[in-house]
Amino acid sequence: MIIAERKPMQEILGMTAGMKKVLVLGCRGCVAVCSAGGDKEVSILSSALRLGRKMSGEKIEVLEETYVRQCDPEYLEPLRESGKDYDAVISMACGVGVNFIADCCRGVRVLPGVNTTFYGANLSSGEWKEMCAGCGSCVLHLTGGLCPVARCAKSLSNGPCGGSVGGKCEINPDVPCVWQGIYDKLTYLRQEQNLREITPIRDWRPAGHGGPRRRIREDLLS
Amino acid sequence: MVAEMSISDPKIIAFCCNYTASVDADALKAAGLVSENFELVRLPCTGRLEVVQILDALDNGAEAVFVTGCLVDECHNLTGSRRASKRVQYVKGILEELDIDPGRVEMFFAGRGETEPVVEAAREMKGRVTGMEPIHK
Repeated sequence: MIIAERKPMQEILGMTAGMKKVLVLGCRGCVAVCSAGGDKEVSILSSALRLGRKMSGEKIEVLEETYVRQCDPEYLEPLRESGKDYDAVISMACGVGVNFIADCCRGVRVLPGVNTTFYGANLSSGEWKEMCAGCGSCVLHLTGGLCPVARCAKSLSNGPCGGSVGGKCEINPDVPCVWQGIYDKLTYLRQEQNLREITPIRDWRPAGHGGPRRRIREDLLS
Repeated sequence: MVAEMSISDPKIIAFCCNYTASVDADALKAAGLVSENFELVRLPCTGRLEVVQILDALDNGAEAVFVTGCLVDECHNLTGSRRASKRVQYVKGILEELDIDPGRVEMFFAGRGETEPVVEAAREMKGRVTGMEPIHK
């Protein structure tokens, strides 16, 4: 899922300075699952915003709402008009939601309430870890299912760098070297031969370096 | 300047579980153990307490909020008071972000049926916020 975290309160207070009426808009997609922008977090941010404004002696009306998703146009439909009633809509969806509101809802001022951070897995309650970089050119069939693009600090394609010591990455002793993990996994699966193949220089265009990505499926188009 | 703005009887809200708060706030007030502005919210378990309830309490009139749950290793629901403690810590973080003294919220632990720790906590919280610039001016 997409992982996000609430922006620092001072940043949110700064971007809403002088505003009298805002809508904190949550999303029940990924950000709800990672406890960053669902119903509960909407309530917390709204209350904190009111409290922060109270301390500075300024009043603000904060309304709360949460959509099923903010990345599908049908859910944003009501916001096209209702969003104009607010000085701003603070979206607690990932950056996709913020962008999509900006695109779809002309006349609505949308602000990000969270920082969108990575695609991650939920290791345990309250702990998420990056597992995919959305690079658009998956090599997991060659690497035992472990991603060298997302999980290697240098996104190396052909084995570890000299900073891999004792199975750990040089950037932090708490970070496992994914190439060590790939080696161990392939050895266990008896697919060591994969490591003998030299992966050519990666084409980063599918990763977005060729401009914003777009996918079209003709069979689904209306 | 701050002293001029402080209030003598700040509103204190306590969230207590059924097991740690055996008396109600009216009885404590009648006995003169807590001030008139003390409010006690009883929960089945402090583990049920949500972060937003503490923030809303501060937003809606309280100058300080505290939570009293079971002793950590004696929680009736095993981990309820521990969860509450983490949520109190989370609220403290938000208050710091807002430049509000995190000492306005606190977690206390008490044995079953003990009233004294709740009374002591109320006094301590009142002492902490007396002299602070009030949230609700």
